[in-house]
Amino acid sequence: MTPAILTEGLTKHYGEVKALIDLDLSVSQGEVFGFLGPNGAGKTTTIRTILDLIRPTRGRATILGMDTHEKSVEIRDHIGYLPSELAMYPSLTGKDTLTYFANLRGGVDWKHVDELAERLDSDLSLKVGDMSGGNRQKVGVIQAFMNKPQLIVMDEPSSGLDPLVQREFQKMMREVAAEGRSVFLSSHTLSEVQRVADRVGIIRHGRLVDVESVNDLRSKAIRRVELFFDTPVEADEFATVAGVREVKANQHSLVISFDGEMDQLLKVATNHHNLVDITSQEADLEEIFLTYYEDEELEA
Amino acid sequence: MLANIFLKTTRDRVTGVAVGTVAVAAMFAFGMAVYRTIDVSFYYQLPEAYLDLIGLPEGGDIGGLAFGALFNTIGALTLGGLAISMGTASIAGEEADGTIGLLLGNPKSRTHVLLSKAGSILLLMTLAMLLLWGVGYVLPSMLDVSTAGLETNALMFHMLVNTIFYGFLALAIGAWTGNGSTASGIAGGIMVIGWLAVGILPLIESIDWVARVFPWYYYSGSDPISNGTNWAHIAILVGASAVLAIVGYIGVNRRDLKSRSVKRTLLDRLRANPRTAKVANRIAGTARVSGIMAKTASDHQGLLVITGAIMFYMSVLIGVFWRFLPESIFDALENFPDAIIAMIGGANMASAEGWFQAEIFSLTAPVAGFALTIVIGSKALAGEEQKHTMDLLMANPLSRSRIIIQKAGTMAIYALLLGAITFLGVWLGAFFGGAEVSWTGIAATSLLFSLLSMVMGGVALMLSAATGRTRIANYGALGVAIVAYFVFSFLPLSDQLANWAKLSPFYYFLGSNPLVNGMNWGHAGVLAGLTVVLIALSIPLFQRRDLRG
Repeated sequence: MTPAILTEGLTKHYGEVKALIDLDLSVSQGEVFGFLGPNGAGKTTTIRTILDLIRPTRGRATILGMDTHEKSVEIRDHIGYLPSELAMYPSLTGKDTLTYFANLRGGVDWKHVDELAERLDSDLSLKVGDMSGGNRQKVGVIQAFMNKPQLIVMDEPSSGLDPLVQREFQKMMREVAAEGRSVFLSSHTLSEVQRVADRVGIIRHGRLVDVESVNDLRSKAIRRVELFFDTPVEADEFATVAGVREVKANQHSLVISFDGEMDQLLKVATNHHNLVDITSQEADLEEIFLTYYEDEELEA
Repeated sequence: MLANIFLKTTRDRVTGVAVGTVAVAAMFAFGMAVYRTIDVSFYYQLPEAYLDLIGLPEGGDIGGLAFGALFNTIGALTLGGLAISMGTASIAGEEADGTIGLLLGNPKSRTHVLLSKAGSILLLMTLAMLLLWGVGYVLPSMLDVSTAGLETNALMFHMLVNTIFYGFLALAIGAWTGNGSTASGIAGGIMVIGWLAVGILPLIESIDWVARVFPWYYYSGSDPISNGTNWAHIAILVGASAVLAIVGYIGVNRRDLKSRSVKRTLLDRLRANPRTAKVANRIAGTARVSGIMAKTASDHQGLLVITGAIMFYMSVLIGVFWRFLPESIFDALENFPDAIIAMIGGANMASAEGWFQAEIFSLTAPVAGFALTIVIGSKALAGEEQKHTMDLLMANPLSRSRIIIQKAGTMAIYALLLGAITFLGVWLGAFFGGAEVSWTGIAATSLLFSLLSMVMGGVALMLSAATGRTRIANYGALGVAIVAYFVFSFLPLSDQLANWAKLSPFYYFLGSNPLVNGMNWGHAGVLAGLTVVLIALSIPLFQRRDLRG
């Protein structure tokens, strides 16, 4: 099947600054793809390049099989887009704003718009300039979803949304994927991506570090182990154990990011100390994410 | 430069003030250089009343002409405009940008913010005036032009105090209301109307005292370049500025500050009322967002109303004044020297056509028209980019060229509407004033005026498309407009340089004397063609660059 997004050696330089370097990425139809990276990693540059808002220094990209530069107008018939730092027209109401974009786009079903507004609990009668940041964001989300596009590209979409609305929003994204459409979700809210994405691409300093399924990332088996002792312990004692990625000591306890043999860790823990208690849990994406970057930094 | 609010404000504004001041200085130098090449003997033949009207000192020479023509009129208006822009941005601007809360999140009082902003106005306007004073001091000796008998220091001093007054007026209104448009609209209106009234009212003996109502009178009414500093007038302006500062202080401390909130208009109220909602929705809602052209038109309808109202009011007023002009002035106007006639586009000042051409079409109309089209042109693309709405707009299936063409279309329609309003105003003014001007002449001139406005809007659009920066588009187009005006107005005064005036778009506006001769379709074609070329050039410039996010 034609990929929803395909980039080949996509590169963008701003003078001396290399914002994006040789990005090769493929997003399938029917998946939610999370695009993770810290601020300034190149997420927004990637999105703006594939939407033809800025032009690549080299390389190319296609959306739904169409070249993003040559067919930019045709492509926009099939996409919804929510930019980061969403700005709209302050003197228009939410409804006016959506009417404007619906007119420019054509083919928007207002029943669907009303449904979306209801699901997100959005009051469209207010002027955008009078809305809170979260309510503005809801209008932005509705305009990205309202034409039922084949691909929805969203850059940090959850900012300002309260937890209840975020949950509904995540449900909406999963529904899009279930209908065979795609979502490209840029975020540094890792828990959100963990909940909705099928696959995750991690970008740093303009380079794609890795693309993995969320399950594969989790199965990297980094665990968060907490050890409690009856006497104070030093972190250094555990730092050299194979598989220990990070260790923090706090008087009688230690918190360890660990992906080695548990047996080795317990041997050290019980050798000279009296181990009182132990907890172990699966690491969340946050820790996996940080681990990647720490590794990179060490290599650098 | 970010150590405190005063320095930050100064840093933000210094470029704009510098560009405006240097433009005024350059015009002064240009004017003086051109005057040197011409025979200025006509200057001594001008009637005193007319000298008052156009702000020229009696008994001067080339230097007097240059100082009078520039600093008494355009220079003072430009600097007043810069001060109004600073005053408006001070409190109301921070509220509109939503930054006032951030600013007051620091341990600084509202009064501190107000004083810092006022201090910055004082500093920058003083520096601007020092620059002009320096140029006015050095340039005449460089060009070997005599300034004997001219009280240039007094003129500069009056201009500084006058400029600060208008800055503080906008500051006070902005601080009191939190509304930037109200502040700049009222302050700008009082300045422009005052400037015109103080020029015209003294010609009419029975009501000449009315001029004293206008603050501008206390700047130029005593003719400081001839008579020196009038300390009583200075005291009035300084006292009024102090009162305005106090008004600003009370205003900003008495009310809830706004944070990017949006004005509630009459239409909003009608939309909220169930009885009128249906009709009001059609006008304010569905209609204005039906497409890019309608949305652009809606965004700028306030500006059209303001510029249209000014043009209509001025045109009718000037027409009515025609009836009251004293007979004595006509003999003098009848014998105007060719040089001056060339300066106002070849019109005979003693005729009704010449009166309207000199008073409305030669300067007032272009200023209003350019204000309209340059703002639309510069905001068309760069405005959307700077407000970060372009990304959202471009997420729709629209090509970049379509966006340009639709926005340019609105600009052209608005220029035509302003031309139509001007036509109506001049026609009514001529009717009420008993001035004999053919309606076909008025229509032709109004249409050419619309086309000239489109050209300048086209320049702004092109710069907007090329750079994505409204500031460059605004200042660039304004610079082109000023140069074009001077090329058309001054080069004809010199026999050797007269032909070069054809390079100016103004030549194709008034060069054929359309109020008398009717439409010159060739000239209209040149202006329309220029507009089309500028819009066409904008397309590749916009298409090939990265959009600012």
